[in-house]
Amino acid sequence: MSIAPGILFEVVGFPITNTIVTTLLTDIVLIVLVICISKTISLRPKGIQNAIEMAIDYFYTLTEDTAGKKVSFIYPWVLTFFLFIVISNLLAQFPGFESIRFHPVNYSGEEGVPLFRAATSDLNVTLALATISVIATNYLGIKHIGIKSYLSKFVSFKMFPIFMFVGILEFANELTKFISFSFRLLGNIFAGESMLSQMYHLFPIGVPLPFIALELMVAVIQALVFAMLTMAFMHIMTDKPQH
Amino acid sequence: MEILDSFGLESSLFLFQVINFLVILAILTKFLYKPLRNMMDERKRRIEQSLRDADEAKSALENAGMERKQILASAKKDADEMTALNKRQLSVEKEKLTQEAKEHSQQIIEEAKEKAVVELENVSKQAGLISVDLSGKIIAKVFSNLFTEEDKQKILSRALDKIAKGGYEKDSN
Repeated sequence: MSIAPGILFEVVGFPITNTIVTTLLTDIVLIVLVICISKTISLRPKGIQNAIEMAIDYFYTLTEDTAGKKVSFIYPWVLTFFLFIVISNLLAQFPGFESIRFHPVNYSGEEGVPLFRAATSDLNVTLALATISVIATNYLGIKHIGIKSYLSKFVSFKMFPIFMFVGILEFANELTKFISFSFRLLGNIFAGESMLSQMYHLFPIGVPLPFIALELMVAVIQALVFAMLTMAFMHIMTDKPQH
Repeated sequence: MEILDSFGLESSLFLFQVINFLVILAILTKFLYKPLRNMMDERKRRIEQSLRDADEAKSALENAGMERKQILASAKKDADEMTALNKRQLSVEKEKLTQEAKEHSQQIIEEAKEKAVVELENVSKQAGLISVDLSGKIIAKVFSNLFTEEDKQKILSRALDKIAKGGYEKDSN
């Protein structure tokens, strides 16, 4: 199993990969959810509205406890990261992922390319999410504490040279967020998918069940970790520096 | 860069994923989070309002009970005062009427007495006149044959004078 996403075909030079197909499936699930909620929204919640309200309330309360008054602009980011990643991860547990094969034009192999693959097992997806998270965090930081206070986190000549080095470390920390966010998610999901793929090959019946349960947990936990870290970083970045 | 290539990193795929996520974020924020948050806030507001209304209704009920008791007590007090006042007024009125009746009856009695005295005097006078007239006639009848006309006139005159002075009555007594 290659770590690079499999290219199914190209549209006007744009490669359509199996992770793009899963990304679009995730989008469809989310949009259907929005349409269902919009049609059935009421003061007395029932069905799916209960579940979504519970998720919104959980993240809203959690963000409010952590970030206080900044909750209104942080929680949409956090919740969207969570919903997108968790739905993408859970979709990958459905039968057909990895097993349904597609034979692209000019494909030389025998097995073909999986038609569906977990979106978050593609570095393009995880790096995109990490980039959005880091850029949004820094944008909110500049918006709420001002460019001067924001820059003073990275460039400071107070107690020279201590805070200068602290600033350099802060800058390095921002850069490593791209790597930590993207590779943590990619590693966990890709590893789980590979492991389950091998399990299906070796023991197709019974044995993969505990691993499926484990992967379900990993799917939720990784989405939660990504969302929580984004929330924590946004809260930290929108606080004025103490030095 | 070879490592990144082995991960299948491509700028077009990366940009697609960035745009895709931002679009999903915008859709969810506008059509899911905001309406649901508004709905949840409205529900929370209504629940709080309902709880406040229930508390107010409860306290209003308690106040109404207390007010009812106070009104009843006040009404009872007013009724007692009014009854006492009426009793006093009635008593005064009764005494006044009794007094007036007594005075009126006393007056009637006095008037009756006066009338009786006057009537008695009239009757006495008339009886005296009748008796004088009758005596004159009897005397005239008895003495018509014994005395001359002149004597008769003298005796009659003396008798009439006596009667007029009351001597007749004293003599008869």
